[in-house]
Amino acid sequence: MITLLIQALKERTLSISFAAIDRLVHHSIIPSMNINSYRTEEALKKLKKKMDYIFNGFIEAFKLLFSGDEETFSAIFATLKVSSASITVSLIIGLPCGFILGYYDFPGRKYLKTVTDTLLSLPTVVVGLFVYSFISKRGPLGSYNILFTITGIVAAQTVLILPIVISLTASAIEGLDRRLRLTLITLGARGKQILFSSLFEARYALLTAAVTAYGRAISEVGVSMMIGGNIKWHTRTITTAIALESGKGEFAAGIALGVVLLTIAFSVNFALSFLKKISNA
Amino acid sequence: MHNNGISSLYELKDIKHKYGSHFCLDIPHLKIRRGSFTGLTGPNGSGKSTLMRILSFLEKPDSGSIYYKGILQYKGDTQAGNNTAMLIQEPYLLKRTVFENVAYGLKVRGIRENLNDTVCESLELVGLEPDKFGSRKWFELSGGEVKRVALASRLILKPEVLVLDEPLSNIDPMSISIIKEAIVNVSRRHGITLIISSHDPVWLNLICGDILRMYDGTIVGDGTENILTGPWFEDIDGLWSKELAGGEKIFAVKPPDKNSIAVLNPSEIIISLKRQKDISAQNMLKGRITNMVSLEKRDALKIDVEVQDMTFRCSLTQHAAGELNLIPGKKVWLIFKASSLQWQ
Repeated sequence: MITLLIQALKERTLSISFAAIDRLVHHSIIPSMNINSYRTEEALKKLKKKMDYIFNGFIEAFKLLFSGDEETFSAIFATLKVSSASITVSLIIGLPCGFILGYYDFPGRKYLKTVTDTLLSLPTVVVGLFVYSFISKRGPLGSYNILFTITGIVAAQTVLILPIVISLTASAIEGLDRRLRLTLITLGARGKQILFSSLFEARYALLTAAVTAYGRAISEVGVSMMIGGNIKWHTRTITTAIALESGKGEFAAGIALGVVLLTIAFSVNFALSFLKKISNA
Repeated sequence: MHNNGISSLYELKDIKHKYGSHFCLDIPHLKIRRGSFTGLTGPNGSGKSTLMRILSFLEKPDSGSIYYKGILQYKGDTQAGNNTAMLIQEPYLLKRTVFENVAYGLKVRGIRENLNDTVCESLELVGLEPDKFGSRKWFELSGGEVKRVALASRLILKPEVLVLDEPLSNIDPMSISIIKEAIVNVSRRHGITLIISSHDPVWLNLICGDILRMYDGTIVGDGTENILTGPWFEDIDGLWSKELAGGEKIFAVKPPDKNSIAVLNPSEIIISLKRQKDISAQNMLKGRITNMVSLEKRDALKIDVEVQDMTFRCSLTQHAAGELNLIPGKKVWLIFKASSLQWQ
């Protein structure tokens, strides 16, 4: 045996021989002894550690939420504030614009509609860059000092989701029955009354448009990061916080915020289906 | 400003308007008196609905001028469309309750006084119980109920002009008499000028002072005339003729075009019980009386005589009809000259 080993060392095939012995032990002896090998045990330990890591993340997340962690809640409130403001502004501007685009026939309407539809897939970083260049100190709107403020994010998010509101409103108005216009006019509706009555006729489609736009606003990260700057206690939103926390390796905080984001999205959609239900009942 | 006298509410001049894919409405001149009931008849696609939309100011004609109360319309902001209400053939209900649909017109006019009572009254007029139907949604109604709700939402407005496109179509036979009564009563009571189209010629004849018969986008007569369409073919003795489905020929003088439309005034037709010989009239057709209507205001009877696939409308005094002992179902001969057919 020893002479064999020496010979093996001489011939530099020792490592190969050890590997062969190890394989032999694992593939024939350990299974026949019906016990876990040190390899299996190590693999299981690693997996458990990994699972614990994610599981602990969830535990930590709920702890953070239910203990009312101020930093976490600051991000949640910032998100709600920004997205509510931007959806409100977008609806105020977007509904009448969408109505005009869908209701009236004017030269260039088709092209305008195509442009709006294209803007639906506007990348958030492009919007961020664009708005940044306008509101930074050197930009034309630099004097308003809204870069790295909530107002700045609202402005940029409005640019981002306005095409969604306009395009979906225009489609909803276009999809209305052709007889509606005749009916409204013959019953005596004029100007604004036609606008509001038509929007009311399309209310379900408009609710969906609003929810889609809102979903885009709460879930985007590019605009909030570039325009808001992810400033703690100030412009840090849920998404920018998640990006930061995962960058730091703090998955618990990230998961906590992710859960909140999903809850908001779910609540909004739940509210939508509830609204549809009661207005149909 | 252009004043055409108080009595004519509408005056249309040289109206031309494209509709459908290749039709053109062509109305050289038309006057409609204030408070009158005007009926529109004619086959589908003859331009009735288009004319009605123009009279309701829902569609602007391509060319020509419309005077409403003597004021030229579509010139600047002089729009009198506010006082006309039209019921389209297949009405659209707003996505609201029946009550809200009927109340809508008053609400946009800012009238909220006694709204509840007025709406209920209006629903009762068209035979819908307010308690049962008021809270129903737009999708919880049958086709006929939709039409009645739509009619109620127009009647409630008591407009100057009420334009009704086929108000009786799609309505169950039980409700037709209620609807007829509602339309006539509301219009008479409030001095509404009624413009109405219907496939019920007897009813139109009964209630309307004037009837406009339309064909291919033009007004071809006052509804009492017979309309004979082409094609016409050259026949014997320099006459032209058109053949009915059963082989009978109608003779006319040379038409301006092969497909010209001829109008035959009912008073030009002589009704006879026997075949006449040695008579100069070229047309002698055997037919059967299908309908006799007495007109309220005139001492005349309108008699429909079916000749093969065509119905001729004839007019006779009550006295003459009595002497001939005419009753529906009786076989008669219609006699008229080839030159009695007037080309349009």
